[in-house]
Amino acid sequence: MKITFKSSLTILITIFSIFLVFLLNDEGEIPILFNLLTFAGIYGLAAIGLNVHFGLTGLLNFGHAAFMGLGAYVTVLLIPHAAGREGVVITTGLPFFLALLIGIISAALFGLLLGLPAIRLRGDYLAIVTIAAAEIFRLLVRDLESVTGGVYGIINFSNSLQQYRSGFIDNFASANDLNPSQIWIAFLSWTSIILVLLLLRRLTNSPWGRALRAVREDEDAVRALGKNAVWLKLQSFMLGAGIAGLSGVFLAFNYGTIQVSTFVPILTFYVWAIMILGGVGSLTGPIFGSIIFWVIISETNGIAQLIFENANGQQIAGVRFVLVGLLIMLLMIFRPSGLMGKKEELLLDVK
Amino acid sequence: MSNKYLKVTNLKKSFGGLKAVDVHSLNLNTNELTSIIGPNGAGKTTFFDLISGFQDSDEGKVYLNDKNITRSQPYSIARLGMIRTFQLTKVFDRMTVLENMMFSASTVNNDSFIRSLIRLPSQKTTEKNIKEKSFEIMKDLNIDHMANSYARELSGGQKKLLELGRSIINDPDILLLDEPLAGVNPKLAEEILQIILNLSEKGISILMVEHNIEAVMKISQRVIVLAEGMVIADDTPESVRSDEKVIEAYLGSENE
Repeated sequence: MKITFKSSLTILITIFSIFLVFLLNDEGEIPILFNLLTFAGIYGLAAIGLNVHFGLTGLLNFGHAAFMGLGAYVTVLLIPHAAGREGVVITTGLPFFLALLIGIISAALFGLLLGLPAIRLRGDYLAIVTIAAAEIFRLLVRDLESVTGGVYGIINFSNSLQQYRSGFIDNFASANDLNPSQIWIAFLSWTSIILVLLLLRRLTNSPWGRALRAVREDEDAVRALGKNAVWLKLQSFMLGAGIAGLSGVFLAFNYGTIQVSTFVPILTFYVWAIMILGGVGSLTGPIFGSIIFWVIISETNGIAQLIFENANGQQIAGVRFVLVGLLIMLLMIFRPSGLMGKKEELLLDVK
Repeated sequence: MSNKYLKVTNLKKSFGGLKAVDVHSLNLNTNELTSIIGPNGAGKTTFFDLISGFQDSDEGKVYLNDKNITRSQPYSIARLGMIRTFQLTKVFDRMTVLENMMFSASTVNNDSFIRSLIRLPSQKTTEKNIKEKSFEIMKDLNIDHMANSYARELSGGQKKLLELGRSIINDPDILLLDEPLAGVNPKLAEEILQIILNLSEKGISILMVEHNIEAVMKISQRVIVLAEGMVIADDTPESVRSDEKVIEAYLGSENE
């Protein structure tokens, strides 16, 4: 990332929003900050995956929550856990990292499976199919209670990952009065962000990335030049879905339980909001978008209380999304390419 | 000499009740510059779509160098050496002119995910070669000074040149040009015609759809006239010009 006006401004806004956390809270600022940074890391990772779909390849995917969910469910079901109403305990399972790998691959394969019939569709039609597929996934998981625990969810799986927690995480957590399990997830998700970004930087600057951008620009021209546009789109779909699967695993471990209600359409739209805030098509954009988004989500209580005296939970939730909506509207007016997006590559004018 | 590269038999395509294309039999000869003309809605572009795989025909067969390409995918037809352009210029707007060229020059192998991940030295060499080749062609077409601009910043005529450059960079045997002169100023139209002639002289077989009759008559060796999807004339420019059916199709019947 070059130090440009754009990136300095973005970093300034991000620092300012972190500063807001300290301004709006009289006590417990550090735990609040680390809680929101954990979510920012997990959602940022998901937004990076979505950016592979939309920013790089122009695929309108509104089923991101299902990719996240599939990665999470597959991983957790492969390690020791307790699922369902009776809490059926399964004590044997694969080592965490093997299960994680299978989870990510499953999410990617789910992308392939969904993509095979759907990817020939363009623009809005793909969006409709992905959102429907995500709902089908959610309902299937809800109703397959014997496997997935249904509405009762899955618990008691955290230890598979937490047993690898390093000592310095514990030391850091206890010194700052934080929850060590969560700090470990935050550490892992931010490390994953760095690794995934390095991988993507390599891929986007390659002939493969160039081919995906060509697909984004004009699929017919790509086909006329002898390139298989469908296969390129499927590859992009699988890569983005795999990244989403990874972020879904972190989300599950951060909560410590898996609930069907986690992987709902609103999750997809949070991730979209983050990507748009950060800048569609920008590699690093989702990181900043995610931090700012989560500052708004977690600090709206204070702001809502300034507007309504004695605001209740519902009113605060309302104000929260009024603010996110306002921010996105302002952004679309004054900086339609998002914080880190290139004006020349403004990608929101979907055909 | 008169080797046939494209054979079309009984090719039909309808949209609802409208017969868009109904070509009984048509052969195209290697190294020939052939043009298709016809009034609006005569089925010229649909015919292009059918032989380049962008639309499926209702009936009939298409053979490219004796290989059956009916219902083949556009990319596999392109890989056989027949490259098409589009009536509405399709450039990759938010990529630079150089990237447009390099993507077109790049092979499927070079574009592969694994190679791009591992970054073999061979890929770097290939990239260097296609970059050089891209610059050569851009220089020939006089768009090399725009190499690092986004393609959408080009003028309409420059976009036509870029599209043409993109389609010739991999030395195709056959070019299908869909209205290469549409919306281009007269001076640039002259230049593009000259480029097309040069390509033809280099041995590329060219099939061109064009509305500019003067230009067509000037450079084509053979002119095919389509009306209501059917071939109504197929001859040298001179004979076609004086063909009564052609005049009728263009100007309407004289006996009202």
